[in-house]
Amino acid sequence: MNKSVSELEENPTPNNSPPAIGRRMLLAAFALAVALLVSFLFARYTAYRTVQAKFYGQPLVPAKEAFDFHLVDQNGKAFQLSQLRGKAVLFSFGFTHCPNVCPTTLSDLAKIYRALPERDRARVQVLFVSVDPRRDQPETMKNYVPYFDDSFIGLTGTEDQIAEAAKAYGAYYEIVHDPGQNPDSYSVNHSAFTYLISPDRKWKLLYNFDQLSDTNKVIRDIEQVLGGA
Amino acid sequence: MIIRIFLSLLYVSCASLIARADSLPIKIEGAWVQAVPAVADATAAYMKITNLGDASLKLVGASCSVASRVEPMITTRQERNGQEIMGMEAVPDLEIVPGATLELKPGGDHLMIMGLTSHPSEGERVKLTVRFAPGDQRLDLEVPVLRQEPK
Repeated sequence: MNKSVSELEENPTPNNSPPAIGRRMLLAAFALAVALLVSFLFARYTAYRTVQAKFYGQPLVPAKEAFDFHLVDQNGKAFQLSQLRGKAVLFSFGFTHCPNVCPTTLSDLAKIYRALPERDRARVQVLFVSVDPRRDQPETMKNYVPYFDDSFIGLTGTEDQIAEAAKAYGAYYEIVHDPGQNPDSYSVNHSAFTYLISPDRKWKLLYNFDQLSDTNKVIRDIEQVLGGA
Repeated sequence: MIIRIFLSLLYVSCASLIARADSLPIKIEGAWVQAVPAVADATAAYMKITNLGDASLKLVGASCSVASRVEPMITTRQERNGQEIMGMEAVPDLEIVPGATLELKPGGDHLMIMGLTSHPSEGERVKLTVRFAPGDQRLDLEVPVLRQEPK
């Protein structure tokens, strides 16, 4: 602090304003920066619109590397997203005590999966990740998730593993206790999004709860992603 | 295939189900219950309820042959990190003003069926008695259990 004050005293600036040429150059540099920023934003926007026009789901532009979560599958075995090599993955977060949103999401996913052409079905895996690990043990997931389709895999894990996976996909969940109720009969508020990951593990698209009910449009997206789009 | 035809016939018959009690000026359409696996302790009932009378009615709850409690719920939606968070909240009742239709549907208002004592599979029917206020007005329904929302 003292030093800067003494420096100021030693090098007093006779002119407060920079010389005219300097000011003009500064202005030009500033204009250039603005132009670059605008064209950069415009390019991003155009890229987004191009991808958006191609897909029904909400695209991530540019597509993100899909976070390789470490969870526990319905058979109690360690499970990583990267195990599903060469497959497109559709997954969402939820919990088995969920009466409305989760059975609907899983029914929608079953409808989509079953309507896929057989050759595509072999290249698509549906996952359902619990955000309620206290009640959703692997056994519970096994009795719940494959009910909607035999091929679906239920995942749970430690609280930390689940928190990490949810955070990586921007998902949110929160336990809500109903006052006066049994402490075990809580509900969980959670993001009801479904994520589409491409076979090369890019997080491509997001579907909200309502979008998922349009089977044919989601299938068109899946086929594009399987085709390398 | 035969099962499919049977189910679609069943659906057609349930979609046109119109319940009218003498004392209750109410029309109920497209009622169904979501089929869930045996491990689930809760599910939901959906339907459209139209108030044909001159006075406001409140759906206060129901009872079901395969569950210990049935309560009206609303679905909450809020935005966080650009993603929609869905949750539910118990409400004392769902009001239907004269002429209005209350739509109970997936992702929206619903009757939550709690404490399932058995798990009917798709195509079976469950008894559902819906209750309205003022007073204790009841309507008995037989509702099909379905895996998918009928469209």
